[in-house]
Amino acid sequence: MAVTLLIGISYVVIAFTVAFLLLYAVRHYLLGYSRLRIDQPKDSMELVGFYMPRVTVLIPMHNEERVAADVLQAIVDSDYDWEKLEVIPVNDRSTDKTREIVDGYAKRYPFIQPYHRTDGQGGKPAALVEACARATGDILVMFDADYVPGRAVIKMLVAPFADPEIGASMGRVVPHNIGDSLLSGLLSLERSAGYQGVQQSRFNLGFTAQFGGTVGAVRAAALESVGGWNPESLTEDTDLTFALLLSGWKTAYVNRAECYEEVPQSWSVRRRQLSRWVTGHTECLHNYWPDLMQSRFLTRWEKVDALFLLAMYWTAPVLVLGWVASLLLFFIPEAHQTPWLPLALAFLGYQLFANQATFLEIGVASMLDGTRIRSLLLPLNLLNFFANTGAICNALRKFYWNKLWGSGGDGWYKTHRTRGTSGGDGFFGGSGAGASVTARSARGLYHARAEGD
Amino acid sequence: MAFFLFSLFFCALFYLHFSVAHRAWRQIRGRESAELDMGYVRMEDYFGQSFRTKLAGWMKTLPRATNSTAGLRVFDKGNERIFVAGGAQYPAGRKEREILVIEGDFSCGRDCEFEKELMVKGDCAIGQDTQLQALAVDGTLHVGEGARVRRWVDSVKQLTVGADAVVASRATSRTAIEFLPGAQALSLFAPEVYTEGRHEVELQIEVAPSVIVQLPHPDRTAVAANGYDPAKLFSMGGNTYLYDGDLHLTAPVHLRAAFVVRGDFSCPKESLLEADLKAHGAVTIGAASVVKGNIVAGGDIALKPNTYFQGLLHAGGAMRLSRGVRGLRDKLPVAAYAAGVVTMESNVVVNGKVASAQWVVAVSTPVAWLEGARGAAVRG
Repeated sequence: MAVTLLIGISYVVIAFTVAFLLLYAVRHYLLGYSRLRIDQPKDSMELVGFYMPRVTVLIPMHNEERVAADVLQAIVDSDYDWEKLEVIPVNDRSTDKTREIVDGYAKRYPFIQPYHRTDGQGGKPAALVEACARATGDILVMFDADYVPGRAVIKMLVAPFADPEIGASMGRVVPHNIGDSLLSGLLSLERSAGYQGVQQSRFNLGFTAQFGGTVGAVRAAALESVGGWNPESLTEDTDLTFALLLSGWKTAYVNRAECYEEVPQSWSVRRRQLSRWVTGHTECLHNYWPDLMQSRFLTRWEKVDALFLLAMYWTAPVLVLGWVASLLLFFIPEAHQTPWLPLALAFLGYQLFANQATFLEIGVASMLDGTRIRSLLLPLNLLNFFANTGAICNALRKFYWNKLWGSGGDGWYKTHRTRGTSGGDGFFGGSGAGASVTARSARGLYHARAEGD
Repeated sequence: MAFFLFSLFFCALFYLHFSVAHRAWRQIRGRESAELDMGYVRMEDYFGQSFRTKLAGWMKTLPRATNSTAGLRVFDKGNERIFVAGGAQYPAGRKEREILVIEGDFSCGRDCEFEKELMVKGDCAIGQDTQLQALAVDGTLHVGEGARVRRWVDSVKQLTVGADAVVASRATSRTAIEFLPGAQALSLFAPEVYTEGRHEVELQIEVAPSVIVQLPHPDRTAVAANGYDPAKLFSMGGNTYLYDGDLHLTAPVHLRAAFVVRGDFSCPKESLLEADLKAHGAVTIGAASVVKGNIVAGGDIALKPNTYFQGLLHAGGAMRLSRGVRGLRDKLPVAAYAAGVVTMESNVVVNGKVASAQWVVAVSTPVAWLEGARGAAVRG
């Protein structure tokens, strides 16, 4: 009796897994296909430099002595009109030399007005809440401290706000340390698929892009209208995306607003980063899905897309459940006497085709970026896939455990930086790990693109 | 034995599967993502400026060829050569296969062909039906009637794009661009871009009309009137409003807050739009209106005659700038961009940029654009 019940449950689980994951597979295929098919991506590049509102750049910092000078220098070097620019480095209780570096820049450039936090709730969202109260710009642009924006990035991020429906804009994050470890190489593929592929594709199709909290901008009035940042959220960016969406504001994606970041080089750092994202994201799912489904501002397909986006981390545990159920059926002799073949075939079919859908997106993005050699790493991405599946399942287990028993969740975790540890001076010092990026900047994608414009 | 062979085969397959990836990883290992130009700044005249810079570098570093004479200097650049002359007048039908640098004035007759880039440091006049690759001029530039430029043109002084001439990419000038009827380009950028017959009609704004629709309407419970239904209005916060449906106003509008219309929008003549407007569909602005904010449309944008705009226009479809339209504002240039064809009627003046993902075309008389034949004549 118990065995029969187990077999029955396994069938149901497999059927659910196949159905659930196939929906995502269809989504991945559609996004990948549409990204290739649409010749003319939706963007506002032709308006860049023609729309120049007052801008406040916010840079949250916590013990950033290794990278603070790089990001500040990059902002100083940007081509945005200094008279319309205000930069607020938010020094959140740093114990290293961040304060001295920031104050040094503030002395030289009057538009840099640091805000030194000494108490209050920790974490980036809480710091942003306080910093935003001091900001005077119509548009708030955000960079994490380890990012190095190019000269025109601020102009590019601001251009979409000529559209009054746009509440936020999101640029593209490009890892610079692709060759530092296998993980960073694989994550560069993942980022490429996420931005060049999925974000652009969703934006082309009329869905709202996802605001990422860095290399992004938000309209101050829109932010105020939704009650500002959620200091309780671990992913204040995703939280804001959906808060804006519920009020009718859209998020634009600007593919060419490219900015360098340092992706994790070790699996433990990656696991912790992913854990924070999963927890914050799933929290947003629980907070927003009922309102999203009833929103008068969204079309039916926008609601479906939003739900897919919010529930995306569920795919990992569902897949694991499917694996467990199929193993059970394999090892229970009684199951072999029942017609399980159709379900097994369906599961196999999913493994063969649907599970490759995300790989297709990576391939599409690599092709569009012209980085074909990196796309050859795709088979090794299986490692990333299994590691992600484990980390996501563990994070979700913790999240729902905490939710069930009311215990406190994870705190805000700052991703470990390695730039500057090699003894160099960083991007602008000329000898650090990232110095080669500027040194080799004369050739590359932008020139190739411009010539073909 | 069979099991052993199967295992061997499986291992071989497994290795093949990952060996390519492993080889790729060995190539990438230790490299930085250096494919982006961090110093790159988007500039409208990027091509012209970039070519001038590269040319100056070549002329400093490249060896001069042995066949150089006093009147003509020749530089060898790999498979190409650069001819440098003091000034020149090419007769009709002449073909030039090398990069040409003219240090004085230059003119050519009709039906000439330039396979490589042309740089002129004085004034330049290109003959009718001439074909060019790209052209940078430090003086004035006249692109003759029916000429074809495969890439870009850039001039420091006045640029005239002659009737029926085609510039396949960007046309830029630091002074002004005159865009004659039938001319086509992908993008025009100058302190002043204008079509034929400018100044014939000055902008005329009549006395404020007696019936005006105030948007957003102060009373949401008011009865629908003049094409406006207050019940369809929702606040998004941040002094921005959403109108759920088409909005075709029958009385002039005074738009005072940012407005998003989920449908088409049109307003009659002499309207005043002081804030940004977005329509998911088409936007039609009545004649002699004043647009102080930006207009973004998912579909077409049409500015009727003598409309004055001070912001940005961005259309997901086609765009029409009717006779007498003016685009100008203090400090910053304006921009009008459409994913479809941009049609500029006569006497249109835009201080800034007019661009399209397809073509910007000048017409002397209204064509059957509104009757549904838009773009067909241009693409043909």
